[in-house]
Amino acid sequence: MKKRDPVVIVVVAVVIALMLFFGIRKAHRAPVAELGPATSGSPAKSRPAPDFSLQSLDGKTLRLSDFKGKAVLLNFWATWCEPCKIEMPWFVDLQNKYGAQGLQVLGVAMDDSDKKDIAKFVKDMGVNYPVAIGKEAVGNDYGGVQFLPETFFIDRAGRVQDKVFGLKGKGEIEDSIKKILASQGEAAQAAK
Amino acid sequence: MSLKFMKATLAVVLPGILLGGALFASDESPGSNKGPSVTMSPAVLTTVTRGKPGLVPLDFRVVKGFHINSNRPNAEFLIPTVLSIEAPTDIVVGKVTYPPGEDISLPFAPTDKLNVYTGDFQLTVLVRPLVGVAASKYMLHGRLKYQACDNAACYPPKSLPVEFEIKVIKGPAAHVKNPGQSPHVHN
Repeated sequence: MKKRDPVVIVVVAVVIALMLFFGIRKAHRAPVAELGPATSGSPAKSRPAPDFSLQSLDGKTLRLSDFKGKAVLLNFWATWCEPCKIEMPWFVDLQNKYGAQGLQVLGVAMDDSDKKDIAKFVKDMGVNYPVAIGKEAVGNDYGGVQFLPETFFIDRAGRVQDKVFGLKGKGEIEDSIKKILASQGEAAQAAK
Repeated sequence: MSLKFMKATLAVVLPGILLGGALFASDESPGSNKGPSVTMSPAVLTTVTRGKPGLVPLDFRVVKGFHINSNRPNAEFLIPTVLSIEAPTDIVVGKVTYPPGEDISLPFAPTDKLNVYTGDFQLTVLVRPLVGVAASKYMLHGRLKYQACDNAACYPPKSLPVEFEIKVIKGPAAHVKNPGQSPHVHN
Protein backbone atom coordinates (compact mmCIF):
# COMPACT_ATOMS: atom_id res chain seq x y z
CA MET A 1 0.00 0.00 0.00
CA LYS A 2 1.20 3.49 -0.87
CA LYS A 3 2.66 5.32 2.12
CA ARG A 4 0.77 8.53 3.12
CA ASP A 5 2.69 11.73 3.31
CA PRO A 6 2.77 12.91 6.99
CA VAL A 7 2.44 16.52 5.82
CA VAL A 8 -0.94 15.69 4.26
CA ILE A 9 -2.08 14.15 7.53
CA VAL A 10 -1.00 17.23 9.47
CA VAL A 11 -2.78 19.54 7.01
CA VAL A 12 -5.98 17.44 7.29
CA ALA A 13 -5.76 17.59 11.09
CA VAL A 14 -5.30 21.36 11.11
CA VAL A 15 -8.19 21.86 8.66
CA ILE A 16 -10.47 19.70 10.85
CA ALA A 17 -9.42 21.62 13.96
CA LEU A 18 -10.06 24.98 12.29
CA MET A 19 -13.43 23.84 10.93
CA LEU A 20 -14.43 22.69 14.39
CA PHE A 21 -13.27 25.93 15.97
CA PHE A 22 -14.96 28.31 13.57
CA GLY A 23 -18.04 26.14 13.11
CA ILE A 24 -18.80 25.94 16.81
CA ARG A 25 -17.92 29.58 17.29
CA LYS A 26 -20.25 30.69 14.50
CA ALA A 27 -23.06 28.55 15.85
CA HIS A 28 -22.55 30.01 19.31
CA ARG A 29 -22.71 33.60 18.10
CA ALA A 30 -25.63 33.17 15.72
CA PRO A 31 -28.27 34.75 18.00
CA VAL A 32 -26.48 38.12 17.87
CA ALA A 33 -26.58 38.23 14.10
CA GLU A 34 -30.18 37.11 13.99
CA LEU A 35 -31.38 40.13 15.88
CA GLY A 36 -31.05 42.34 12.86
CA PRO A 37 -28.54 44.45 11.02
CA ALA A 38 -25.40 45.56 12.81
CA THR A 39 -25.63 49.26 12.23
CA SER A 40 -28.37 50.60 10.02
CA GLY A 41 -31.84 49.21 9.64
CA SER A 42 -32.81 46.79 6.92
CA PRO A 43 -36.43 45.68 7.20
CA ALA A 44 -35.81 42.59 5.08
CA LYS A 45 -33.48 41.27 7.76
CA SER A 46 -35.53 42.35 10.78
CA ARG A 47 -36.61 39.79 13.37
CA PRO A 48 -39.35 39.80 15.99
CA ALA A 49 -38.15 41.44 19.19
CA PRO A 50 -38.09 38.88 22.01
CA ASP A 51 -40.80 39.66 24.54
CA PHE A 52 -39.86 39.99 28.18
CA SER A 53 -41.46 40.45 31.55
CA LEU A 54 -39.42 42.49 34.00
CA GLN A 55 -40.10 44.39 37.18
CA SER A 56 -40.04 48.14 36.76
CA LEU A 57 -38.59 50.51 39.35
CA ASP A 58 -42.09 51.32 40.56
CA GLY A 59 -42.80 47.63 41.19
CA LYS A 60 -45.00 47.02 38.16
CA THR A 61 -44.48 44.31 35.57
CA LEU A 62 -43.08 45.68 32.36
CA ARG A 63 -43.65 43.62 29.22
CA LEU A 64 -42.50 44.55 25.76
CA SER A 65 -45.76 43.18 24.39
CA ASP A 66 -47.63 45.84 26.38
CA PHE A 67 -46.28 48.38 23.89
CA LYS A 68 -47.41 46.71 20.71
CA GLY A 69 -48.40 49.33 18.16
CA LYS A 70 -45.79 51.73 19.49
CA ALA A 71 -42.31 52.33 18.17
CA VAL A 72 -40.04 51.21 21.00
CA LEU A 73 -36.50 52.29 21.75
CA LEU A 74 -35.17 49.59 24.06
CA ASN A 75 -32.03 50.69 25.87
CA PHE A 76 -29.85 48.37 27.98
CA TRP A 77 -27.76 50.39 30.41
CA ALA A 78 -26.13 50.40 33.86
CA THR A 79 -25.39 52.97 36.54
CA TRP A 80 -21.63 52.34 36.14
CA CYS A 81 -21.73 53.02 32.41
CA GLU A 82 -20.65 56.56 31.61
CA PRO A 83 -21.64 56.47 27.92
CA CYS A 84 -25.11 55.32 29.06
CA LYS A 85 -25.29 58.37 31.27
CA ILE A 86 -24.51 60.59 28.29
CA GLU A 87 -27.35 59.06 26.26
CA MET A 88 -30.04 59.33 28.93
CA PRO A 89 -30.75 63.06 28.55
CA TRP A 90 -31.01 62.47 24.79
CA PHE A 91 -33.61 59.77 25.38
CA VAL A 92 -35.52 62.13 27.69
CA ASP A 93 -35.55 64.78 24.94
CA LEU A 94 -36.50 62.27 22.25
CA GLN A 95 -39.31 60.84 24.37
CA ASN A 96 -40.66 64.37 24.79
CA LYS A 97 -40.27 65.14 21.09
CA TYR A 98 -41.67 61.92 19.61
CA GLY A 99 -43.86 60.49 22.39
CA ALA A 100 -47.01 61.95 20.86
CA GLN A 101 -46.15 60.24 17.56
CA GLY A 102 -45.98 56.86 19.25
CA LEU A 103 -42.42 56.52 20.51
CA GLN A 104 -41.88 54.70 23.79
CA VAL A 105 -38.42 54.61 25.29
CA LEU A 106 -37.83 51.69 27.64
CA GLY A 107 -34.74 51.35 29.84
CA VAL A 108 -33.43 48.04 31.15
CA ALA A 109 -30.83 48.38 33.91
CA MET A 110 -28.29 45.55 33.61
CA ASP A 111 -26.92 46.39 36.99
CA ASP A 112 -25.99 44.59 40.18
CA SER A 113 -26.69 47.75 42.16
CA ASP A 114 -29.45 47.93 44.70
CA LYS A 115 -32.85 48.85 43.27
CA LYS A 116 -32.87 51.97 45.45
CA ASP A 117 -29.55 53.09 43.96
CA ILE A 118 -30.84 52.56 40.45
CA ALA A 119 -33.99 54.52 41.31
CA LYS A 120 -31.90 57.36 42.72
CA PHE A 121 -29.75 57.42 39.60
CA VAL A 122 -32.81 57.48 37.36
CA LYS A 123 -34.37 60.27 39.39
CA ASP A 124 -31.15 62.31 39.35
CA MET A 125 -31.01 61.94 35.57
CA GLY A 126 -34.59 63.16 35.19
CA VAL A 127 -35.64 60.05 33.29
CA ASN A 128 -39.20 60.32 31.96
CA TYR A 129 -39.65 56.77 30.63
CA PRO A 130 -40.13 53.37 32.30
CA VAL A 131 -37.04 51.60 33.57
CA ALA A 132 -36.97 47.90 34.45
CA ILE A 133 -34.46 45.83 36.38
CA GLY A 134 -32.76 43.60 33.83
CA LYS A 135 -32.15 39.88 33.93
CA GLU A 136 -29.35 37.99 32.23
CA ALA A 137 -31.87 35.81 30.39
CA VAL A 138 -33.42 38.88 28.77
CA GLY A 139 -29.97 40.11 27.81
CA ASN A 140 -29.25 36.71 26.27
CA ASP A 141 -32.45 36.93 24.24
CA TYR A 142 -31.07 40.14 22.77
CA GLY A 143 -27.72 38.67 21.81
CA GLY A 144 -25.88 38.59 25.10
CA VAL A 145 -25.51 42.31 25.94
CA GLN A 146 -21.79 41.91 26.46
CA PHE A 147 -21.22 45.63 26.83
CA LEU A 148 -23.28 48.74 27.37
CA PRO A 149 -25.05 50.72 26.14
CA GLU A 150 -26.96 48.63 23.62
CA THR A 151 -30.07 50.05 22.03
CA PHE A 152 -32.65 48.25 19.90
CA PHE A 153 -35.16 50.03 17.69
CA ILE A 154 -38.39 48.06 17.51
CA ASP A 155 -41.07 49.02 15.01
CA ARG A 156 -44.82 49.14 15.65
CA ALA A 157 -45.15 45.53 14.51
CA GLY A 158 -42.71 44.42 17.20
CA ARG A 159 -39.74 43.77 14.92
CA VAL A 160 -36.17 44.86 15.56
CA GLN A 161 -35.40 47.26 12.72
CA ASP A 162 -32.10 48.58 13.94
CA LYS A 163 -29.64 48.35 16.79
CA VAL A 164 -26.84 50.51 18.09
CA PHE A 165 -24.03 49.00 20.13
CA GLY A 166 -22.08 51.50 22.17
CA LEU A 167 -22.52 55.25 22.24
CA LYS A 168 -23.42 56.91 18.95
CA GLY A 169 -24.45 60.44 18.16
CA LYS A 170 -27.89 61.75 19.08
CA GLY A 171 -28.56 62.40 15.39
CA GLU A 172 -28.01 58.75 14.50
CA ILE A 173 -30.38 57.67 17.26
CA GLU A 174 -33.00 60.15 16.09
CA ASP A 175 -32.72 58.85 12.51
CA SER A 176 -33.41 55.33 13.72
CA ILE A 177 -36.39 56.57 15.74
CA LYS A 178 -37.85 58.22 12.64
CA LYS A 179 -37.55 54.91 10.78
CA ILE A 180 -39.47 52.92 13.38
CA LEU A 181 -42.08 55.65 13.72
CA ALA A 182 -42.56 55.53 9.95
CA SER A 183 -43.11 51.78 10.04
CA GLN A 184 -46.84 52.26 10.71
CA GLY A 185 -47.22 54.38 7.61
CA GLU A 186 -45.43 51.79 5.51
CA ALA A 187 -47.54 48.97 6.92
CA ALA A 188 -50.75 50.91 6.24
CA GLN A 189 -49.70 51.71 2.68
CA ALA A 190 -48.77 48.08 2.05
CA ALA A 191 -52.20 46.99 3.26
CA LYS A 192 -53.99 49.30 0.76
CA MET B 1 -6.06 0.94 4.60
CA SER B 2 -3.27 -0.39 6.78
CA LEU B 3 -3.54 -0.46 10.54
CA LYS B 4 -0.28 1.43 10.77
CA PHE B 5 -1.64 4.23 8.61
CA MET B 6 -4.88 4.40 10.63
CA LYS B 7 -2.89 4.66 13.85
CA ALA B 8 -0.70 7.40 12.39
CA THR B 9 -3.76 9.30 11.17
CA LEU B 10 -5.47 9.02 14.55
CA ALA B 11 -2.29 10.09 16.31
CA VAL B 12 -2.27 13.32 14.32
CA VAL B 13 -5.99 13.97 13.79
CA LEU B 14 -6.99 13.38 17.41
CA PRO B 15 -4.66 16.07 18.78
CA GLY B 16 -5.95 18.31 16.01
CA ILE B 17 -9.53 17.80 17.17
CA LEU B 18 -8.46 18.35 20.76
CA LEU B 19 -6.68 21.54 19.69
CA GLY B 20 -9.88 22.72 18.05
CA GLY B 21 -11.77 21.97 21.24
CA ALA B 22 -9.20 23.78 23.31
CA LEU B 23 -9.38 26.82 21.06
CA PHE B 24 -13.15 26.80 21.38
CA ALA B 25 -12.94 26.40 25.15
CA SER B 26 -10.49 29.26 25.46
CA ASP B 27 -12.80 31.45 23.41
CA GLU B 28 -15.50 30.95 26.02
CA SER B 29 -13.34 31.82 29.00
CA PRO B 30 -14.05 35.09 30.81
CA GLY B 31 -12.40 38.05 29.21
CA SER B 32 -11.75 36.40 25.87
CA ASN B 33 -14.57 37.71 23.75
CA LYS B 34 -16.44 39.69 26.35
CA GLY B 35 -14.44 42.84 26.26
CA PRO B 36 -11.11 44.11 27.32
CA SER B 37 -9.05 42.88 30.19
CA VAL B 38 -6.34 44.04 32.51
CA THR B 39 -3.21 41.94 32.80
CA MET B 40 -0.73 41.68 35.62
CA SER B 41 3.00 41.43 35.00
CA PRO B 42 4.74 38.64 36.92
CA ALA B 43 5.55 40.13 40.31
CA VAL B 44 9.17 40.28 41.38
CA LEU B 45 10.04 38.45 44.57
CA THR B 46 10.09 40.98 47.38
CA THR B 47 12.22 40.32 50.45
CA VAL B 48 10.70 41.43 53.73
CA THR B 49 12.25 41.25 57.17
CA ARG B 50 9.95 39.60 59.67
CA GLY B 51 8.43 41.97 62.12
CA LYS B 52 9.00 44.87 59.74
CA PRO B 53 6.87 46.38 56.98
CA GLY B 54 7.77 45.98 53.35
CA LEU B 55 6.31 47.36 50.13
CA VAL B 56 5.42 45.02 47.29
CA PRO B 57 5.03 46.66 43.86
CA LEU B 58 2.46 45.11 41.52
CA ASP B 59 2.37 46.10 37.86
CA PHE B 60 -0.75 46.03 35.74
CA ARG B 61 -1.54 46.91 32.16
CA VAL B 62 -4.83 48.07 30.67
CA VAL B 63 -5.31 46.89 27.09
CA LYS B 64 -4.71 49.68 24.57
CA GLY B 65 -7.84 51.64 23.64
CA PHE B 66 -9.55 51.03 26.99
CA HIS B 67 -9.54 52.65 30.40
CA ILE B 68 -10.60 51.52 33.84
CA ASN B 69 -11.82 53.73 36.63
CA SER B 70 -9.15 54.77 39.08
CA ASN B 71 -9.49 53.95 42.76
CA ARG B 72 -11.21 57.31 43.15
CA PRO B 73 -13.48 57.88 40.16
CA ASN B 74 -15.10 61.27 39.87
CA ALA B 75 -18.70 60.11 39.83
CA GLU B 76 -20.78 58.42 42.52
CA PHE B 77 -21.92 55.36 40.59
CA LEU B 78 -18.68 54.50 38.82
CA ILE B 79 -16.97 51.35 40.06
CA PRO B 80 -13.50 52.00 41.50
CA THR B 81 -10.51 49.76 40.90
CA VAL B 82 -9.85 47.89 44.13
CA LEU B 83 -7.21 45.34 45.06
CA SER B 84 -8.02 42.89 47.83
CA ILE B 85 -5.47 40.43 49.18
CA GLU B 86 -6.08 37.31 51.23
CA ALA B 87 -2.99 36.96 53.38
CA PRO B 88 -1.76 34.00 55.41
CA THR B 89 -2.62 34.45 59.08
CA ASP B 90 0.90 35.36 60.14
CA ILE B 91 1.49 37.98 57.46
CA VAL B 92 -0.38 41.22 57.89
CA VAL B 93 -1.46 42.96 54.71
CA GLY B 94 -1.74 46.70 55.15
CA LYS B 95 -2.59 49.62 52.97
CA VAL B 96 -2.77 49.32 49.20
CA THR B 97 -1.46 52.47 47.54
CA TYR B 98 -3.14 53.43 44.28
CA PRO B 99 -1.63 55.88 41.81
CA PRO B 100 -3.59 59.02 40.99
CA GLY B 101 -5.72 58.53 37.92
CA GLU B 102 -5.65 60.54 34.74
CA ASP B 103 -8.53 62.93 34.02
CA ILE B 104 -10.05 62.26 30.62
CA SER B 105 -13.29 63.19 28.87
CA LEU B 106 -15.26 61.22 26.34
CA PRO B 107 -15.70 62.73 22.86
CA PHE B 108 -19.48 62.97 23.35
CA ALA B 109 -19.19 64.65 26.76
CA PRO B 110 -16.16 66.94 26.70
CA THR B 111 -17.13 68.65 29.93
CA ASP B 112 -17.40 65.48 32.06
CA LYS B 113 -14.09 64.42 33.55
CA LEU B 114 -13.43 60.78 34.36
CA ASN B 115 -10.52 59.73 36.55
CA VAL B 116 -9.03 56.60 35.01
CA TYR B 117 -6.05 54.33 34.57
CA THR B 118 -4.78 53.62 31.07
CA GLY B 119 -1.74 51.66 29.92
CA ASP B 120 0.63 50.63 32.69
CA PHE B 121 -0.02 51.40 36.32
CA GLN B 122 1.49 50.21 39.56
CA LEU B 123 -0.06 49.49 42.94
CA THR B 124 1.95 48.92 46.09
CA VAL B 125 0.91 46.64 48.90
CA LEU B 126 2.23 47.03 52.43
CA VAL B 127 2.98 43.70 54.08
CA ARG B 128 4.35 42.95 57.54
CA PRO B 129 5.25 39.41 58.53
CA LEU B 130 4.74 38.82 62.22
CA VAL B 131 7.85 38.33 64.36
CA GLY B 132 7.05 34.67 64.92
CA VAL B 133 6.67 33.71 61.26
CA ALA B 134 9.19 31.20 59.87
CA ALA B 135 11.73 32.60 57.43
CA SER B 136 10.55 31.29 54.07
CA LYS B 137 8.78 32.19 50.86
CA TYR B 138 5.05 32.87 51.02
CA MET B 139 2.57 33.15 48.16
CA LEU B 140 -0.18 35.72 48.60
CA HIS B 141 -3.35 35.72 46.53
CA GLY B 142 -5.95 38.34 45.81
CA ARG B 143 -8.16 39.93 43.22
CA LEU B 144 -8.15 43.19 41.32
CA LYS B 145 -11.70 44.34 40.73
CA TYR B 146 -12.12 46.78 37.89
CA GLN B 147 -14.60 47.98 35.33
CA ALA B 148 -13.40 48.88 31.86
CA CYS B 149 -14.71 51.09 29.09
CA ASP B 150 -13.59 52.46 25.78
CA ASN B 151 -14.74 55.75 24.29
CA ALA B 152 -18.16 54.40 23.39
CA ALA B 153 -19.02 51.41 25.57
CA CYS B 154 -18.50 49.91 29.01
CA TYR B 155 -17.97 46.30 29.99
CA PRO B 156 -19.30 44.55 33.08
CA PRO B 157 -17.10 44.63 36.20
CA LYS B 158 -14.41 41.98 36.25
CA SER B 159 -12.11 40.43 38.78
CA LEU B 160 -8.50 39.61 37.89
CA PRO B 161 -6.74 36.98 40.01
CA VAL B 162 -3.59 38.41 41.54
CA GLU B 163 -0.71 36.54 43.15
CA PHE B 164 2.73 37.45 44.34
CA GLU B 165 5.45 35.91 46.45
CA ILE B 166 7.36 37.43 49.31
CA LYS B 167 10.50 36.11 50.95
CA VAL B 168 10.51 36.55 54.70
CA ILE B 169 13.96 36.74 56.25
CA LYS B 170 15.15 36.90 59.84
CA GLY B 171 16.08 40.33 61.00
CA PRO B 172 19.17 41.17 62.96
CA ALA B 173 19.14 39.64 66.45
CA ALA B 174 16.92 41.62 68.75
CA HIS B 175 18.43 43.41 71.70
CA VAL B 176 17.83 41.33 74.81
CA LYS B 177 17.98 42.89 78.25
CA ASN B 178 19.54 39.92 80.02
CA PRO B 179 21.27 37.69 77.50
CA GLY B 180 22.78 35.59 80.19
CA GLN B 181 19.42 33.96 80.84
CA SER B 182 18.99 32.79 77.25
CA PRO B 183 21.08 29.92 75.99
CA HIS B 184 20.16 30.84 72.37
CA VAL B 185 21.53 34.35 72.26
CA HIS B 186 25.23 34.99 71.89
CA ASN B 187 26.33 38.57 71.40
